[in-house]
Amino acid sequence: MAAKKGFKERLKYFKPMLVNLFEPFKIIFRDPLGRIGAILLSIIILIAIFAPMLASHDPNQMNERIEGSVIPFDEDGEWKNYQVIGQRPLNEVALGDNYQLAAADEGYIYLKELGDDWQEFKLELNINFLAAAVYEELRFVAGEAGIILRQAADSWQIMPTNTEENINDLIILNSSQAYAVGDNGLFLSWDGDSWTEIDSSTTRNLREISFINSEDGIIVGDRGTIIHYRDGELSEPSFRSFMDSTFRDLLAVSYFNENQAIAVGERATVMIYDGQDWYTADSGASRSLNGVIHTSENEAYAVGLRGSIIKYDGESWQSLDRITRRDYRGISFADDQGYIYGVEPYINELAPPSRDHFFGTTHLGRDIWSQVMYGTRTALMVGIIAALVVNFIGATVGLIAGYYRGGVDNFLMRIVDIMYGLPLEPFAIILVLIFEPSLWIIIMAIGLLTWRTNARIIRSQVLSLVERPFIKAARVAGASDARIMLIHITPNILPLAFLQLAVAMGYAITAEATLSFLGLGPPQIYSWGTILHSARLSGAWRTAWWWVIPPGLFISVTVISVFLISRSLEVLTNPRLRGGRDNAPEAEEFENILPDEQ
Amino acid sequence: MGKGQYIAKRIIQLIITFFIILTILFFLFRLALPDPTAALVMDGLSAEEQALVRARFGLDRPLVEQYFIYLRNFLTGEFGISFHYKSAVFPILMEKLFNTLALMLPAIFISYLIGPLLGVLLSWKRGSNTEFAGIVGGLFLRSAPVFWTGMIFIMIFGIWLGILPTSGMRTLPYTATGNFDKIMTLDYLRHLFLPMLTIALYYLGLPMLIMRNTMLEIMGEDFIELCQAKGLSERRIMYKHVARNALLPVVTQAAITIGLAVGGQVVVEVVFSWPGLGREMIQAVRTSDFPMAQSAFMMMAGLVLIMNTVADLLYSYLDPRVVLKGGNK
Repeated sequence: MAAKKGFKERLKYFKPMLVNLFEPFKIIFRDPLGRIGAILLSIIILIAIFAPMLASHDPNQMNERIEGSVIPFDEDGEWKNYQVIGQRPLNEVALGDNYQLAAADEGYIYLKELGDDWQEFKLELNINFLAAAVYEELRFVAGEAGIILRQAADSWQIMPTNTEENINDLIILNSSQAYAVGDNGLFLSWDGDSWTEIDSSTTRNLREISFINSEDGIIVGDRGTIIHYRDGELSEPSFRSFMDSTFRDLLAVSYFNENQAIAVGERATVMIYDGQDWYTADSGASRSLNGVIHTSENEAYAVGLRGSIIKYDGESWQSLDRITRRDYRGISFADDQGYIYGVEPYINELAPPSRDHFFGTTHLGRDIWSQVMYGTRTALMVGIIAALVVNFIGATVGLIAGYYRGGVDNFLMRIVDIMYGLPLEPFAIILVLIFEPSLWIIIMAIGLLTWRTNARIIRSQVLSLVERPFIKAARVAGASDARIMLIHITPNILPLAFLQLAVAMGYAITAEATLSFLGLGPPQIYSWGTILHSARLSGAWRTAWWWVIPPGLFISVTVISVFLISRSLEVLTNPRLRGGRDNAPEAEEFENILPDEQ
Repeated sequence: MGKGQYIAKRIIQLIITFFIILTILFFLFRLALPDPTAALVMDGLSAEEQALVRARFGLDRPLVEQYFIYLRNFLTGEFGISFHYKSAVFPILMEKLFNTLALMLPAIFISYLIGPLLGVLLSWKRGSNTEFAGIVGGLFLRSAPVFWTGMIFIMIFGIWLGILPTSGMRTLPYTATGNFDKIMTLDYLRHLFLPMLTIALYYLGLPMLIMRNTMLEIMGEDFIELCQAKGLSERRIMYKHVARNALLPVVTQAAITIGLAVGGQVVVEVVFSWPGLGREMIQAVRTSDFPMAQSAFMMMAGLVLIMNTVADLLYSYLDPRVVLKGGNK
C-alpha cells in the first residue's frame, strides 16, 4: 500500500516534466517555419529507419552493367558511332545481303532489315545464343546445349543435332552446305537437310570456323588448336591437324585467301598463316582478343577486352583509339559493312543518374543513392547521441553551477572558459591522431567540447529560477538540494534543454560530416561526409556532379530543418516572443538560432 | 571595477586558461602515446639507435621533467623539431599562419562588410517576403557544409567555366622573397577568389541575422521614438541611430570569428589545397608528426583565446555598461 502510494506520489512529480516535454512540440507546430522543419526532419528520420528498404543496391557492391552494342564500320573505313541495341550482350552478328542478324544471351536475337532499326526478339528458349549465320534467305542461330535454330516463315524451329555441347560458331556456305563447331571438339556439317557430326579427332573446345570457299576452311580452338579443313576433290571431308608452338586458347580466325589467315586468342595471341605455315606475331596489345576479320587483302582488325581494337596492315599491328572501355566479343565484316559487337558485363563506373541508379555510381560502380540512404543513419545516430551527451553534461553543469553559485559556480564557469579556448575541428583532429578514427571519437570530440554553450544557457536560466518564490518555499519547507534540483528546477529547464538538444544536433551533424570529409571518420561506415571524402579522394568529383551534390544537399536539408525547429522553439527562452513575429526579439536570439562558432 | 582593472583581470584569465590548455595537451599526448617516436623509428633500427632518437627528443627523462622542459621550451618560443620536415617547427608554422590569415581576413572582412548591410535591409523590410527569404537564405548558407559549397564552386568556376584556379595560393612555380611579396600579385587574387567566396558566404549569415535582430530590438527603444518625434527622416534614423547602435554585437562577433577562423576552416584549406595552418595540421596528423600537430593546435587555441579576450575588451569599450556590471558576459 505504502509502495503504491509512493509510486503515485512520484508520478505526480513527473507530470509537470511530461507536460513540459510536450510543450515544445506544440510550439513547433504553431510556427509555419517550425512545421516545415519538423516535416523535413521527420522525412530524414523515416529515411534513416527504412534505409535498407530504400536503398536500391548494396552500397558496397560494385555494380555491373550489361548491354548489347554494336559499332558499325562507316563509309570512311572507320569504326564509329557506338550504339546500344539491347540489354543483352551480343555474341555474333551475321551479315546478309539486306539484313543483319545478331545472336545474344538469354534467348535474345536482334534483327535489322536494310534501312531499318534493330528489332529485339525473345525466343522461347532460355539459353545463350553464341552464333548466328545467314545466307540469302537462310537464317540460323545456335547456342548452348547443341541447339541450332532455323527461321522458317515467322517462327524459329529447332534443327535436330544429336549433341548437348555448346555450339560456338556457325557458318553457311551455300544453300546445301553449312558447318558448326563447338565445345569438346564438336564439328557438325549440314547438307541442306540434316546435321551430322564429323569426328574432329580432338576434345578441345573449338571456337570459330572460317572458309575461303566451300572446300577450304580453318577451325581454331582452345590450347592452340588449328585445324585445316580441306575438301578438295575428295567427296569425304578430311582434316589436316596443325600444331604450333602456342598453347593459348585461340578464340577467332579469319581466313581471307589461300595465303592469308589470322587467328587470335587469349593474352593478345596472334597467329598468322602465309599459305604454308603458321607463325606467331606480336600484336602490341595485352588483353585477350575475341574477334578478328579481314576487311581487304592487306587490312585486318582484331578486337578484345576493355575496348581494344588493333589494326593489321599486312606488316604490323597498331592499336586504334579506344571507343569505349567495354569488352568486345567479336567483329564481323562483309561487303563493306561491318560491326564490332559485344559486350561483356562491365563495371558501371561513374554512371550519371539513371533509373537504375538514382544518384549515379562512384568510380567503383557503387550506387550513390544507397550510400546516401545509409549515410542518413550515421548522421542521425551521431547527431542524436552527441546531442544527448552534450545536453546531459551541459545541463548538469549548468544546473549545479546555477544552483550552488559562489565558488562552485566560479570553478565550473572557469572550466567552461577553458573549453571555449579549444577549437573543435583541430581538437577532434588531435583526438584522431592519438586514437583510432571511429564514430565514437567524433561523438566524444563533439560531446567534450560543445556542452560549454549549453552549460552557460542553462546556468543563467537556473540563476533566475532559484530566485522565484516557489523554490524559496520549497527550501523553507525543508526540501533537500537534490530534491529541489530534480523536482522543482529540472521540469522548468527541460524545454530549454530541448531547444539546446536541437541546436546541438544540427551542430553535431555538421561536425561529423566535416570530420568524415577530412578522412577522420571510420572508413567502413557510410556517412555523407565519407561519401564526399571518397569522391574527393578518387579525383573524379570534379566532373561527377552526381557524386558531390546529393550528400551535401542531405546535410544542408537536415541541418536547416533542425535550425528551423530550434528557431521556432525560441519562444521558450524568450516568452515575450509569443504571439507574433512583430514583437521585437531579444538580442540573445541570434545565439540560439545558429550554433555558436565552436 | 575600473577599466584598467577589468582589462588586467581578463588578461590574467587568458594566461591561466592558456596554461591549463597547454597542460591538458601535454598529458593527453604523453599518456595516450607514451612513445611518439614509434612513428619515427624505422624498421631495423637497433635498440641503441632507438634510445638515441628518444634522447634527442628528450623522451628518456621522467614525465614531470619533460613537462617542465615542455613549458620552458614553449615560453622561449622553442616549439621543437618537426619529424616530417626535420627542421624547426616555429618558422614553418609562422609561414602557414600567414597564409591562413591571407585567406581568412579578406573573407571575414567581406562577410562583415556585406552581412550587416543586408541585416539592416532585412530589419527594414520586416514582415515581408524579402525578410523571409533573407532569413531562410542566411540559414541555408550556414547549414550547407563549407567544404561542399567549396567543391561546388570549384566544379562551376574551375572546371565547367574554367576561369579560375582551384588550388594553391599561387601558380607554381613561383619565387617570392617574402610573405608580402607573395600576396602582392594578381595571381594571388585569382587564387584567393574562390576560397574567399566560400568562406565569406558561410560567415555572411551570422552578422546579417545578428544585425537584423539587434536592429529590431533597438527600434523598440524610447530614443527612437524621440527621433521620430523630432521629425527625422526614416533613412536618417535607420543609419544614424539604429544601425550605429546595432553594430556593437556585430563588432564583437567579428573578433570572435577571426579567432575561430584560424582553426575552424581546416576543410576549406583542404578543399582548395591552400597551404595554411589547418592543412598543415591535417598533414602532420597523417604523417604522425607530433611536434607539428601539437604546436599547430596550440597556435590555434592561443588565437581563439586572444580573440575572445579582445572581443570582451572591445565590448566593454564600446558598451561601458558591461564594465560597470562587472560581469564577463
